[in-house]
Amino acid sequence: MQACETDAMKRETATSQILPTGLRALIIAASYWVLSISLTTEAGSIAAFTGCVLACFAVDFLIHRPPLARLRLGVIALAAVLCLAVGIALANILTASIGFARLVGPLAAYETGEVLEWLIFSACLSTVLRSIAQRADFGKVLEILFVASAFVITLAAHRQGMIHRPFFIGDFALSRGIDPSSILMAFGCGAVLSLSALLMIEHNHRRLPYHFTVLGLLCFSLLIYVQFFGLPTPRLTDDMGLTGTAPTGGSAQDENPFRDGQNDTSDMQTPVAVVLFRDDYEPEGGAYYFRESAYSEFNGQLLVVPDRDDMDEDLIDFFTPTRAEINEPLPSPDLRKTVRITVGMLAPHRTPFGLDTPVAYANTPNPNSLRFKQTYDAFSMVPQYNFGDLIGRSSGDPDWTEEQRQAYLQLPADPRYKQLADTILQDLRPEFADDPYAKALAIKDYLDRNGIYSLKNEHAYADDPAASFLFGDLTGYCMHFAFAATYMYRSIGLPARVGIGYSVPVSNRAGGSSLLIQAINGHAWPEIYLDGVGWIIVDPAPSRTLVDMSVDPQNSLQQLLGDMLRDEASFDEFIESQQDSTLPLGLVLRALAGALLALLLAGYAVKGYRQRAPYYAQADQRYRLSYRAILDSLGALGLRRRYGESRESFARRISAMTPSFGTMTRSHLQRALRQQGDGEVVSVDMANDIDWIALDRQIRQEVRQHIPLWRRVLAFLNPVSWLGTH
Amino acid sequence: MSLEVTGEENTAIPETPAQESAAPAALSAALQQACAVLERLGNAVKSQVIGRDEVIELVIIALVADGHVLLEDFPGSGKTTLAKALGEAIVTTPDNDSNDNLSAIVPFRRIQFTPDLLPSDVTGGAVFDANANHFHFRHGPLFAYVVLADEINRTSPKVQSAMLEAMGEKQVTVDNTTYPLDKLFFVIATQNPLDMVGTYPLPTPQLDRFLFKITMQHIDRDAELNVLETWRSRRDQSHNGGQKVTRNELLRARESIDREVQISTAVKTALVDISRRLRDDERVLQGNSTRSMVLMLPALQVLAAMRGRDYVSADDIETLLPRVLAHRIELAPGVTDFGRVLRDCMQEPMEQLARTTLR
Repeated sequence: MQACETDAMKRETATSQILPTGLRALIIAASYWVLSISLTTEAGSIAAFTGCVLACFAVDFLIHRPPLARLRLGVIALAAVLCLAVGIALANILTASIGFARLVGPLAAYETGEVLEWLIFSACLSTVLRSIAQRADFGKVLEILFVASAFVITLAAHRQGMIHRPFFIGDFALSRGIDPSSILMAFGCGAVLSLSALLMIEHNHRRLPYHFTVLGLLCFSLLIYVQFFGLPTPRLTDDMGLTGTAPTGGSAQDENPFRDGQNDTSDMQTPVAVVLFRDDYEPEGGAYYFRESAYSEFNGQLLVVPDRDDMDEDLIDFFTPTRAEINEPLPSPDLRKTVRITVGMLAPHRTPFGLDTPVAYANTPNPNSLRFKQTYDAFSMVPQYNFGDLIGRSSGDPDWTEEQRQAYLQLPADPRYKQLADTILQDLRPEFADDPYAKALAIKDYLDRNGIYSLKNEHAYADDPAASFLFGDLTGYCMHFAFAATYMYRSIGLPARVGIGYSVPVSNRAGGSSLLIQAINGHAWPEIYLDGVGWIIVDPAPSRTLVDMSVDPQNSLQQLLGDMLRDEASFDEFIESQQDSTLPLGLVLRALAGALLALLLAGYAVKGYRQRAPYYAQADQRYRLSYRAILDSLGALGLRRRYGESRESFARRISAMTPSFGTMTRSHLQRALRQQGDGEVVSVDMANDIDWIALDRQIRQEVRQHIPLWRRVLAFLNPVSWLGTH
Repeated sequence: MSLEVTGEENTAIPETPAQESAAPAALSAALQQACAVLERLGNAVKSQVIGRDEVIELVIIALVADGHVLLEDFPGSGKTTLAKALGEAIVTTPDNDSNDNLSAIVPFRRIQFTPDLLPSDVTGGAVFDANANHFHFRHGPLFAYVVLADEINRTSPKVQSAMLEAMGEKQVTVDNTTYPLDKLFFVIATQNPLDMVGTYPLPTPQLDRFLFKITMQHIDRDAELNVLETWRSRRDQSHNGGQKVTRNELLRARESIDREVQISTAVKTALVDISRRLRDDERVLQGNSTRSMVLMLPALQVLAAMRGRDYVSADDIETLLPRVLAHRIELAPGVTDFGRVLRDCMQEPMEQLARTTLR
């Protein structure tokens, strides 16, 4: 019998260890998995997961036994670091060695290396973390921080949807129009919560549900907050390219736009995007311009995409999971027309582009994520003005600060730009001599007449390729023309910049509403700013050309892709096929949030009711209700009767804090236990009844002196504190 | 089998300040009087027996609740002193209602049980009176308020059963004539827990007749020193009296407690549930009898009254249940910790009892 008992006890303690250990190991291993999934192969991720689980179990079960128990923490950590170094070295040797690669094949050799590396990495790191956690209290916090940061790192990479890994989560969310970061954040919250719960399990079983509820509510509110207000949007991609190193499609945004290898004609026909016109639009100049970004800041050598916040405020340079608009409305809205297009990107782009002067972008569901990298709606205020609207206007924006204006006027310190510009402008008719737009047209006309279009790039390695082009053979491609014109505009005091994007001849449009953009359509053009109108494209078109720029517009492909992008029916079918199997996630989430909110409110309502009930109760019920109210309050503070404990013992246990509670307990029991006599009703002398309300106040007063404020605030906020009152 | 029940704070009879500061609702006059009597009796005995307050409380509870106690202790630990002090604290007053036996009944008797003792030595017997030429009944030592049955396990089962019958029936029958014992008849039996050679251990059914079996521990150092210091004064005091209570006062106290202290259905339910759980527990060979629960009710009432309450509450059960059940439960072989078994079985019913008050 005794043996049985001790056996049972042993088994009990064994299971009570295996469960938390296993759960904790799973949570930490999941964070390794999330961390490794974008850094290594599938096998590597599995190895990281396995290594962590093994290490957690090994540490938890061996740390208190002789070999490990005698070692100091530093020794364990040192051993782990050594082991890590040796393991990584071994993995590198395996990957690099020719002999091994010959033996098993290069792919298998690489996989082996990855598996070994991640296995060792996760095992060693887990061993160190777990050992610290076992030996010191702050180690447990470290562990929680590790899990949290693993999810945060992954989450940060998922911002803007540039990284879709793990694919099944990203696809699942994106195909339903949900931001995948919410789902990942939910995972993260869950993991951190569970780990925190585990941390508390080891200290206090009774507080667990209480703390867990409060933490859960916090996380829930975080999720709700992000759902409604979103995360802050990063302004720019950083050098590491964490928030978007997607290779650029058409026009290049490399350090030096003159060395981008545009003279490679082999892939000129590559489709880069397909555009669907949702509104009727026919451009004035015979070509559709799609503006993506602009080179406007002079960095001492050439023009680049500005780093400053106060330049190019009319451009949006990030993708958005929802909708983004420019901050200030464009001038002269009466001269413009709103056109909506839908863009399906076939090649990844760093920034979105839109027709001529885009003012807003809105993300749209991707009808075919295998075909389109990105789909969105672009809203543009396309200009409708004619020559008369532009002539006679001053240059620049009077609202600009002097600093902004100067930024648009900087150019290389080469006097020849001004000399040439002045020479050209001498021929201008006197009535237009001071008109900015007329000057711009004169310079464009000069380039049109004298320039020769060629994809040969002989100026690429000159200090100033634009000068080399302009004062040399005048032979180059769009980038040369655009830079040369911009510099000349700036030299005579016209604010100007180089617009980047695509220019597609109207003839390419085969009559339908779709338009295919090909790599060859990548283009750069000069723009000037006129007061009251905004940026105006003044694109030089050289009359002589050395290359045949006409390519097959691929009308059938244009049709096909346009249909694919437009096809609402197939899109709906796709969504339905995805949703048939499961409930509509958004609805479920909303219902869940609603239900939680309702529960929360109900909890507070019941709590408030139980607190106020004694004030309105009948005299013969007051003994019960006011005692229950006090028990509620004490329970919220963590002072609860243990299971099986008598009411008197409980009162004695906390009598040091509140002696009056003992009195109330006795009064309550007297009323309760006398009333249930041998079937005979014992009359209760109501006149002799004590003042329950006064006693209630006195107890609260006594409790207040002993409990710190933060615990009372927590108790006040807890909506379910009354659940444990018996 | 150690019958010591762990958890001292449960068995001690606490007098928390809360109980005194604000008595929730006043007790009735009769009950207050009863409490005063018990307190006086307690003080009288405590002045003679030092360091045994807890045992004295239990003995007084048993006395008022019409039960008997079995003390299990080492020789010279104050058993006789306790019993004698109790007997001497109860006096007969002249205003007693006339009773035939009264002349024969004394406050205190002590019987030393030996193997050669005969039943008639305990009960008394018929003696031939040559002058009157007939038999008359000579009262035995059982005709007293308090009887100390010393080393009850040393005598033969024959005497034991005569003794236990007297305890159960409150009467003795000799030669077909039944002689009632006093209403206050109270037996304190003792036995030595270690020296078992040549004894006749009491079987469980006979143990069932005792309300409590009290295992006395050695008193603490200060109390022991106090015993030696005050030995002379206490001896003198015992001769010239001090505080006393009368037999009738005690009987009235017993009546009013029985009448006034309520036992709610919830409390009885808890008792029954605990008993049933104990009987069903696999660690228990034989559970407690229904009689034990019946005997326990008055004891609960007395304890509640002593604590200044006119209702029985969970606290009383927690205090008395280990005392009442310890010698009635036979544990399965290999199980030693009765306290743990009892705690396990009490938990659920006591929780239910506590919850009923909020319904």
